[in-house]
Amino acid sequence: MNRQRTWSRIFGALRPYMALTIISVVLTAGSVIFTLYIPILIGNVIDLIVGQGNVDFDRIMPILYRILILAAATGAMQWISGTINNRVAYSVVKDVRSEAFRHIQTLPLSYLDSHQSGEIVSRIVTDADRFSDGLLLGFTQIFSGVLTIIGTFAFMLRINVWITLAVAVLTPMSIFAAKFIAQHTYSMFKLQSEARGEMTAYVDEMTAGCKTVKAFGREARVMEDFDEINDKLSKYSLRAIFYSSLTNPSTRFINAVVYAAVTLFGAIISIGGGITVGMLTSFLSYANQFAKPFNEISGVVTEFQGALASAARLFAISDEEPQTPDGEISLGTVDGNVKFDSVSFSYAPTRPLIKNVSIDVAAGRHIAIVGPTGCGKTTLINLLMRFYDVTGGVISVDGYDIRGVTRASLRANYGMVLQDTWLRAGTVRENIKLGRPDASDEEMIAAAKAVHADGFIRQMPHGYDTVLGEGGDGLSQGQRQLLSISRVMLSLPPILILDEATSSIDTRTEHRISRAFTKMMQGRTTFIVAHRLSTIRQSDLILVMKDGDIVEQGTHDELLAKGGFYAHLWGSQFDGAE
Amino acid sequence: MKKILHYLRSYALESILGPVFKLLEATFELLIPLVVKSIVDVGIKNGDKRYIAAMAGLMVLLGVIGLSCTLAAQYFAAKASVGSVSLMRRSLFERIQSFDYTTLDELGASTMVTRMTSDMNQVETGVNLTLRLLLRSPFVVIGAAVMAFTIDARAASVFVVTIPILSVVVFGIMLVTLPLYKKVQGSLDRVLLAARENLSGVRVLRAFGREADEIERFDSRSDELVGMQKFVGRISAMLNPITYVIINAAAVALVYIGAVRVDAGVIETGAVIALYNYMSQILVELIKFANLIINITKSVACANRIAAIIDMPPEAAGADRDFDKNAEYAVEFDGVGLRYKNGGADAISDISFKARPGDVIGIIGGTGSGKTSLVNLIPAFYKPTRGRVRVLGVDTADADVGELRRRIAIVPQGQTLFSGTIRDNVMWGVDGADGDNDKRIEDAIEAAQGVDIVRAKEHGLDEHIGRGGVNLSGGQRQRIAIARALAKNADILILDDSASALDFATDAALREALRTLDPMPTLFIVSQRTGSIRHADNIIVLDGGVCVGMGTHEELLSSCAVYREIDEAQKGGSI
Repeated sequence: MNRQRTWSRIFGALRPYMALTIISVVLTAGSVIFTLYIPILIGNVIDLIVGQGNVDFDRIMPILYRILILAAATGAMQWISGTINNRVAYSVVKDVRSEAFRHIQTLPLSYLDSHQSGEIVSRIVTDADRFSDGLLLGFTQIFSGVLTIIGTFAFMLRINVWITLAVAVLTPMSIFAAKFIAQHTYSMFKLQSEARGEMTAYVDEMTAGCKTVKAFGREARVMEDFDEINDKLSKYSLRAIFYSSLTNPSTRFINAVVYAAVTLFGAIISIGGGITVGMLTSFLSYANQFAKPFNEISGVVTEFQGALASAARLFAISDEEPQTPDGEISLGTVDGNVKFDSVSFSYAPTRPLIKNVSIDVAAGRHIAIVGPTGCGKTTLINLLMRFYDVTGGVISVDGYDIRGVTRASLRANYGMVLQDTWLRAGTVRENIKLGRPDASDEEMIAAAKAVHADGFIRQMPHGYDTVLGEGGDGLSQGQRQLLSISRVMLSLPPILILDEATSSIDTRTEHRISRAFTKMMQGRTTFIVAHRLSTIRQSDLILVMKDGDIVEQGTHDELLAKGGFYAHLWGSQFDGAE
Repeated sequence: MKKILHYLRSYALESILGPVFKLLEATFELLIPLVVKSIVDVGIKNGDKRYIAAMAGLMVLLGVIGLSCTLAAQYFAAKASVGSVSLMRRSLFERIQSFDYTTLDELGASTMVTRMTSDMNQVETGVNLTLRLLLRSPFVVIGAAVMAFTIDARAASVFVVTIPILSVVVFGIMLVTLPLYKKVQGSLDRVLLAARENLSGVRVLRAFGREADEIERFDSRSDELVGMQKFVGRISAMLNPITYVIINAAAVALVYIGAVRVDAGVIETGAVIALYNYMSQILVELIKFANLIINITKSVACANRIAAIIDMPPEAAGADRDFDKNAEYAVEFDGVGLRYKNGGADAISDISFKARPGDVIGIIGGTGSGKTSLVNLIPAFYKPTRGRVRVLGVDTADADVGELRRRIAIVPQGQTLFSGTIRDNVMWGVDGADGDNDKRIEDAIEAAQGVDIVRAKEHGLDEHIGRGGVNLSGGQRQRIAIARALAKNADILILDDSASALDFATDAALREALRTLDPMPTLFIVSQRTGSIRHADNIIVLDGGVCVGMGTHEELLSSCAVYREIDEAQKGGSI
């Protein structure tokens, strides 16, 4: 995304808050000007304090009141503009975040599968934050900073040209000094962060493997390695911390020199009557604060650029092509006739994954798909569920081309249990009812009982109200699988897809729940993917896939009799064991 | 807090010199307004340009001295903070190495890593800032007031009123917003979780057609976050305006009183300017100080978290016992039960068996039946909560665990290889081995059926493997881990379901090689497959932590229903 486009998107996001933004800009300008005006007024007062018996209270008092009123007004303006800025920044972030999230719901699986989910999350959470912090708050800081510099300069010029020039020439030196130090400490920071990285990696590895370390009695040698890294880290940290902490004292020193110069010139000019003592006081105030916005701005600009990049990354999500629009027809509950008609599919045109597959599955039949890793089993499921669209041919359910119906109505007819179970952070109840939030507790418990999950759920601290951690933390892989089977058991759609559904359940429990499976599959079109061939021998049809082709099909006995690839697979399963 | 002081003691000199130099610098800074006062009241009044030039020179000189003092302060502070944290990091890591398995389980790896890294970094920053700035800001604030008093006591009374009011405002707002910011962070985490779950569960969620609910869920969390952010924002946006108004009101009061005092002939104009300058110094320092306090609070919290771990007791040392290689039984379990800390029920209960040296013991059972719990008791990773475990004639309850584990080699479940060469990994458990190393490594690898792995690698034994063995396949990892255990030449060898990724032929060859080891260790094989243990001298069948059968393959087939069920289920038939 180019810069211009990013900016136009930013302004687009800001549009609903334009009025507020303009008010904030005006108030900021007002408060900056007032802030700069007050030192002048103080200087005026100082000039009226000449000496013993020579203080003009009649003229001083109105000025002092004016200062009070201006200060109060400035405070009010600062508060209002600050509140507005916060509000705009947070609201804009919320808007863009929400837009991005909504858009993600419509993105094709191909996009989500090919991008790290952590990266997408970091875009809509972290990048959105940086965008608002850096860009919107940065903008107000830069705006008031620039205004302060210009204002200070103008006010100083009004008092005395020569001193102003001296300040203008000397002040940038502190910025150069800061830059110079930053450049020269960069290499130290790099060394430090490398050493930190090394330390983190080592600690991470040894802590995760701590039990192995202890099992092999290697603690002493681990300690030796640690000491080496720790010493290195200390050495580089000392340098990095010390050299980087030179920045502030150096700029402070240069500012002190500027201050001395202003005092020197100012005092000498004032002897000649060029300026008054009060003016000199105002000047000293300005000299003190003139350098500040420079240093602030140079810091903000870096952040600003980072924020712009964050904004670009965030908007890039919303610009991704959404999945092809839904078909018109809303499918009701189907019988479960599934037909593949010369279906082919590939992620990349040069590498076909499914080649010209045709199968006709009558309602209620059980189809097993077997084959070595990478043969296209999972791809077939992706196509059935319409997570991906076929690149050739047609898949139809009850005679409807699945591209012609809405995704929601199609998927409502499928019950899917995947090998990688997914549970959300929430109660067991929420997780089982995910597919049917309106189900009653009785139905839910019946479903859990049917798959032998009720027992272990009841043993948990709060039964069905036990809160599971993210990804089902605290449950064994087998228990997680049982929960996701209960989920499908509860919604019982006409077509089932079981992708290695029992791979992590031990053989005895698997044996026990097999009756529940048999009952669940009764009269339902079922697609089963399994590595353990023993689990599929009763299927009506076994499809043997290899490199995207169906190389054999038939029942277990037919395929064994044929003595082909399936028979070979079947045999190799028992060779070693006997 | 106490912990930090403990480690700072080794850097006592630096810890004192740092703040001392910092205060010197602050003192010189406080002198500047006085110099300006003299320029106005003496130099300008008398038209004495030479005096003015001398004074300006003095200001630069004060700046130079101030700069050198700061540099010294920065150096000492950096040295003390880096050094003390380095010591602290070492003790924490050493302590982590010394924990028993129960403590390790309780803490969790990610907690320990956080303590070792980001918490340590925060403490380092905190110590550094404390040494540099904790004394400086109050010193400048109070110093400014004191200097004001030396100029004129009446006018300085403004400082006595202003400083407390400003402190209350600055610290009040910080105190109110700090816990709120924590809540905002919690709220942000919930938004993050909603987004992460939506992506990790995209297939399931779309399969169930939950997209609209997901949007609602995300939006409601997002609203909650923004509401909180706006609320905190409104409060913290008050800090600058309020302090600004207070400072200006104070300046007006100061100038007015100053004017009265000049009119009365007590002080001169330059003194008013100096008083005004001192007032400006206060605000900057107070805000710096408040931010510093926040930073230090964070660091103290981190240090306390670190200290909590350092203070946890290490694994009990145990007594020196004589392990007897020729004991009648290599391993004896006598009515052994184990309940994990915070575990509701016993992981295993009432297990008794005896294994003679050189025996092969098979352990079988379903997921969660207690197989791993049982073998983990042998090297005393956990101590039995009931009954006794004796290894080579010694009760493990009070034996020195280091000595005990030297006699046992284990192939644990999961990925347990470390980054380094294959050689490093195989020799991982061998202390100070020498001379005959290569022979030892090669023998171990050969027995573990790993010769082809090494042969296929460009650098052979010196091939680098990544953390957890990432550049190896599951089966290769298992074989290297087995070689690592074999290279230890231990009296007792435990394979905890560690051939699960091997194909049947390799598994069979491995078992054959293990049977012919010389000298033959007492061998424990944990498995879910009856095929892997059918030749064992004794097989223990576990179900729900209880021993439901013991004997040879043939005996169990006829006597143990659970065993038969497992055996048959594996031959096919379910679903």
